[in-house]
Amino acid sequence: MSEATLTLSPPENAITPQTTPLDGHDPSMLISMRNIWKTYQMGTESVHALHGVSFDIPRGEYIAIIGPSGSGKSTLMNLIGCLDTPTQGEYWLNGKNVSEMDDDELARIRNQEVGFVFQTFNLLARATALHNVELPLIYGGVGSAQRHEMAKKALGAVDLADRMTHKPNELSGGQRQRVAIARALVNHPSILLADEPTGALDSHTSMEIMDLFERLHSEGNTIIVVTHEHDIAARAHRVVSIRDGLIEKDERIR
Amino acid sequence: MQRSGDHEVEPRRFTYARAVLPARITSVPLFRLAAVWESFRVALASLRANKLRTALTLIGIIVGVTAVIAVVTIINGLNATVAQTFSSQGSTVFTISKNPAIITSREDFVKFNRRKDVTHEDADAIARLCSSCWRVGIAANAIETVKFANQTAENVRIRGVTPITMFDIDGVSVDAGRIWTESEGDSGREICVIGPDMLKNLFQDAPPDQAIGKEIRIDGRPYVVLGVLEPLGSIFGFSRDNVVYIPYSTYQKLYGARRSLVVFIQVPAAEQLEIAEDQVRTIMRNRRGHALDDPNDEGFSLETQDVFLNLYGQATSNIYYVTFGVAFISLIVGGIVVMNIMLVSVTERTKEIGIRKAIGARRKDILSQFLIEAVVVTALGGAIGVGTGFGLAYVISALIGFPLLVSTLSAVLGVGVSSLVGIISGLWPAWRAARLDPIEALRAE
Repeated sequence: MSEATLTLSPPENAITPQTTPLDGHDPSMLISMRNIWKTYQMGTESVHALHGVSFDIPRGEYIAIIGPSGSGKSTLMNLIGCLDTPTQGEYWLNGKNVSEMDDDELARIRNQEVGFVFQTFNLLARATALHNVELPLIYGGVGSAQRHEMAKKALGAVDLADRMTHKPNELSGGQRQRVAIARALVNHPSILLADEPTGALDSHTSMEIMDLFERLHSEGNTIIVVTHEHDIAARAHRVVSIRDGLIEKDERIR
Repeated sequence: MQRSGDHEVEPRRFTYARAVLPARITSVPLFRLAAVWESFRVALASLRANKLRTALTLIGIIVGVTAVIAVVTIINGLNATVAQTFSSQGSTVFTISKNPAIITSREDFVKFNRRKDVTHEDADAIARLCSSCWRVGIAANAIETVKFANQTAENVRIRGVTPITMFDIDGVSVDAGRIWTESEGDSGREICVIGPDMLKNLFQDAPPDQAIGKEIRIDGRPYVVLGVLEPLGSIFGFSRDNVVYIPYSTYQKLYGARRSLVVFIQVPAAEQLEIAEDQVRTIMRNRRGHALDDPNDEGFSLETQDVFLNLYGQATSNIYYVTFGVAFISLIVGGIVVMNIMLVSVTERTKEIGIRKAIGARRKDILSQFLIEAVVVTALGGAIGVGTGFGLAYVISALIGFPLLVSTLSAVLGVGVSSLVGIISGLWPAWRAARLDPIEALRAE
């Protein structure tokens, strides 16, 4: 815990304005993106979802990425989450150049470095909460006894110790999202990447989930929330606004 | 390896999780095991969730495996019976007769009927001239109704034999009483030795010695029972114990001397069989000359039990071919059904595949998940097929009466081959699943 206190005040120079061109990645940063392009081929036409995005995220930050639909926000999220690779540019995550990895290497990075939280929870319907949380550990090769132990602790950390044997359809929306958060955290990833995490929840439950994110951040986790809702973004400490495939604004709000 | 290297250079990480939970586990060589076990769990869960679909998927495989297992088991049982039956007479016996035991065409039937009858004199000549022959005997059969008191036995084989060594050539021995003496046999007296079925049908299952001295009626004439034979059992549902032996001299009085008979020749050991056959063939050719219309016909048939065994082997190998054809077709159809169902399953579970990929499943994890699912289905079908196949063989063996020989090899093969069908038919669907793009898969509903 004494180590964790170090991250409670991230360095002030963490944010580099978009206007300043960045040369090379910054190895001190957890995430370092340089001149990222993503181009989709639509028939004969090339559509640029991202045109040269660069930014850094230090360890322990709580950042929101906000933008209207079609802004390139989802594309950026897929890149950060290592679900996809950029057409051009460099993406360094936790000291590794992700931009040139193949499918299976990306899968390994997702397993070890990224914890996903989705709008629609994306839990396996037929599996219990405990088994859902164990899933990343299964693909990470953790032995069953240790897996149970870790999954139970992760569920305990989101106050679901008493719901471990429940299946998703026996849980409320807020509980399901907390199972998803436990699953995201169980493998101790470098980043917690949440895509509209409150989009399917009522406002009261939404606030509970956002409170949980705040707590997880205060405990030292790096959290990235992708959203189009300003009040959700306002809970973060830094807000990056995307529009037309470019970073429009990058500001520290807390 | 790569993972542990990464761990060395990993920067300090200050997370809640680090403080509370044990350190992150890096990959170990057992990695595959956890994912494979997960695949089994998922496969079983998904089969359980779609019971009807699973059952329908299994049918093709079950039919194929059942057919093979049942037929192989039945034929193994029959083989054992046949081997046992024919070895009781043994491969040291051959016969001379007018007609061969098996006639396959009308032309042959006409041809054989033109031959001269095999007679007592032929047997005497063989006994006198054949130096390699050990025992020579005569047997002729008739089918009659046999009665005792108010009991009746139908379709009993009346076997007239001489000399008494014919009992040894036939491989039978008495259980109670005795066989007739040489002089009794030549005297033409009404005496007999009965097969054990007669006890059951005429003497209400009385112990053998109670039948001794009783008088039974064959075609209305009284015969005194001298002995009861040991049981031989049945073959293909036909009892070999439904027989009454009488002296050939007595048989002749009943049916006349003009009926063709069969000469049985036994050699001391199987190695002499060929020499003895040559000698007997020469003797018989000399006796027949070439008096017949057809110069290519010797005028008699010399047969060993190989004739029966060959015919039997031919029949069973045909059954084998047909069965394997049926099994092959049903396994192919079964495989196509499995492939189809797996494709449906992959489409239905696109979202699940997306989730698994997002949290770190690699291509081979997804590939093995669906392959294992296909193999679990087909292996299950194979196992059920093995069970029903043995069950079917059991029922049929109980009805016909042959030993049930459960072969482990055929069970292993049944499950193995159907698993192979699973691998082949699951490969393409699994490959499709493994190649799904996680982003698109997550978008699926």
